[in-house]
Amino acid sequence: MTAATPTSSAAAPHGLLRAAIAVEARKAWSSHVMLWTTVLLVVGVGALALGILAAVASGEAQVIAKLGPLAGVGGWAGLVGIVVQVTAAGGLGAFGIALSWMFGREFADGTVAALFALPVPRAAIALGKLIVYVIWAIAVAALLTVVVGGVGLVLGYGATDAAGLRELARLPVLVVLTALIAVPAAWAATLGRGLLPGVATTIGIIVVAQVLAIADVGAWVPIVAPALWAIAPDSVPAAALLTVPSVPLVFGALCGVAWARLQLDR
Amino acid sequence: MTSHECTPPRLEGHGLVRRFRGGAGLRGVDLTVSAGEIHAIVGLNGAGKTTLMRVLLGMLRADEGEGRVNGVGLRDADAATWARVGQVVEQPLAYAELTARGNLEIAARLHGIEPGRVAGIVDHAIEEFDLGRYAPVRTSRLSLGNRQRVGLAAALQHGPSVIVLDEPTNALDPAGVILLRESLLRRAAAGAGILVSSHHLDEVARVADRITVINDGRAIGSLDPGGLDLERAFFDLVLTDDEARRSA
Repeated sequence: MTAATPTSSAAAPHGLLRAAIAVEARKAWSSHVMLWTTVLLVVGVGALALGILAAVASGEAQVIAKLGPLAGVGGWAGLVGIVVQVTAAGGLGAFGIALSWMFGREFADGTVAALFALPVPRAAIALGKLIVYVIWAIAVAALLTVVVGGVGLVLGYGATDAAGLRELARLPVLVVLTALIAVPAAWAATLGRGLLPGVATTIGIIVVAQVLAIADVGAWVPIVAPALWAIAPDSVPAAALLTVPSVPLVFGALCGVAWARLQLDR
Repeated sequence: MTSHECTPPRLEGHGLVRRFRGGAGLRGVDLTVSAGEIHAIVGLNGAGKTTLMRVLLGMLRADEGEGRVNGVGLRDADAATWARVGQVVEQPLAYAELTARGNLEIAARLHGIEPGRVAGIVDHAIEEFDLGRYAPVRTSRLSLGNRQRVGLAAALQHGPSVIVLDEPTNALDPAGVILLRESLLRRAAAGAGILVSSHHLDEVARVADRITVINDGRAIGSLDPGGLDLERAFFDLVLTDDEARRSA
C-alpha cells in the first residue's frame, strides 16, 4: 500500500455531501433507535387513536369533553382529526428525540473526534444528518398514513369518500410539518454536546406549540401552526403553513455553522 | 537525496499556544514530522500531548502559532489536504450499530474514497489488521481491543501521508501491538509522516525515529530511541523541568 493516495472525489463538494448522506443513512438504517422510534410512533399513534374512538363510541364523558367538537364528527374526518391531534404532540416528541440522538450521540459516544480532519466537512455531515432525517420523516408520514388508511377501511369508512380522502391527505402533511419544527433540537444537541439538551428543547417546543394551539393563537408562528392546524384546520391559512419551513432552514443553517466551527474544548 | 527530502514536512507546529481555564494547555510548542519519519511524543498525563494533537488536526484552534499539514496552513486546509490525513485521537471511528466492515466502509467514504474503490480498500484493511473473524460482527459486541483495531484500520486504510495516533496501543493485545508496529513502519518507509503518543517507552523506542518529551504544555527535550535507559532519561528531563519551573 502506498502512503499517499489523495482521491479525486476529495475535491468535488457534491461528492463529499453524497458521501455524508450515504454514511448518515447507513448509521440511521443500522440503528435500533430510528427503527424503534418509527415502530413506537406508528403503533402508539394507531393504538391511541383506536382507544379514543372506542372511548367515544362507548360514551366516555371525559374523553368526549376533551375532544370537544371533534367528538361528534364521525367517519374519516373524526379518525384523522384524532390522529393528527395525537401526532402533533406525540410525533413532535418522537422526531425531537430522534434528532437529539442523531446529533447528540456523536458527543455522548465520543465519535465526534473521528469526524475531524476529514475531506468531508463537518457542516456537510450535519447537513447529511438533516437530509436523512427529513427522508426518514417522509417515510414515517407515508407509513402512518397507510396504517391509518387501513384502520379506516377496517372500521368500514368508505373507500370512495372524496371528503374522507381529503381528510386523510392532511395526515402526511401534518407529520412532515411536525418533523420540520423539531429541527431546533439538533442545534440544541450540538451546542449542549449531548442528547439531553435536544430532548429538553423538544419538550419546550411541544409545550409552547400545544399551549398556544389550545389557546387558538399563533397561526403565523411557525412552531405553533402545525399543532393549531391539527386542532382547528380552518383557523390556519395555507400561507401560514408555508412559514413552517423557515424553522428547519434557520436552525439547519445554525447547525451547519455550529458543526463547522466546532472545537473539542469541553 | 531521497524523494522524501524534497517534500515539505508532513506536519508542523510553530509556537503553538492554547490556553485552558485553570492554567493547562500548550505554552508554545514547535514540532515537525518529516516524510518517512515516526515522531513520538511522550509525557505524563495532562502534559499536553493530546491537546497538541488536537490543535494540529483542527479539533482545537490555537490561540497563537500556526500548524501546517503537508505544507498547507490549517486555516487553508481543504478537502484534498484532509484526504491525506488519518488520525485516531481519543475515540476511534467505530459506531456500535455497524459491523466492523460497515465501519471501515463508512470511514473510507468519509476519507474521500469513491464508492467503486471502497470494497477493495476495506478488504485490504481487514487482511492487514487481521479482522476477518470480526468483519461481520456488530462493533458493540467487539472487545475494546478489537474496537481499537477497527478504529486504527479505519484511520489508515486510505493510505494517508500524515498519520496522528494518540495512545494507539491502548487496549491492543500483543498481536495487535505487533500488527500496528509493522503497519506504521511500512507506511513510514513509503513516505508517510507519523506522529504518535504513548506511555510505553519500550514500544516507542521500537518504532520512533525521534522522541520528544512534552511537559507542562512545552517540548522540553528529546530522548534517544536507541538509548539504554529511556525511563531514567525521561524522568530526569521531566523532574529537571519541574524543578526549574518551581524555582523560577
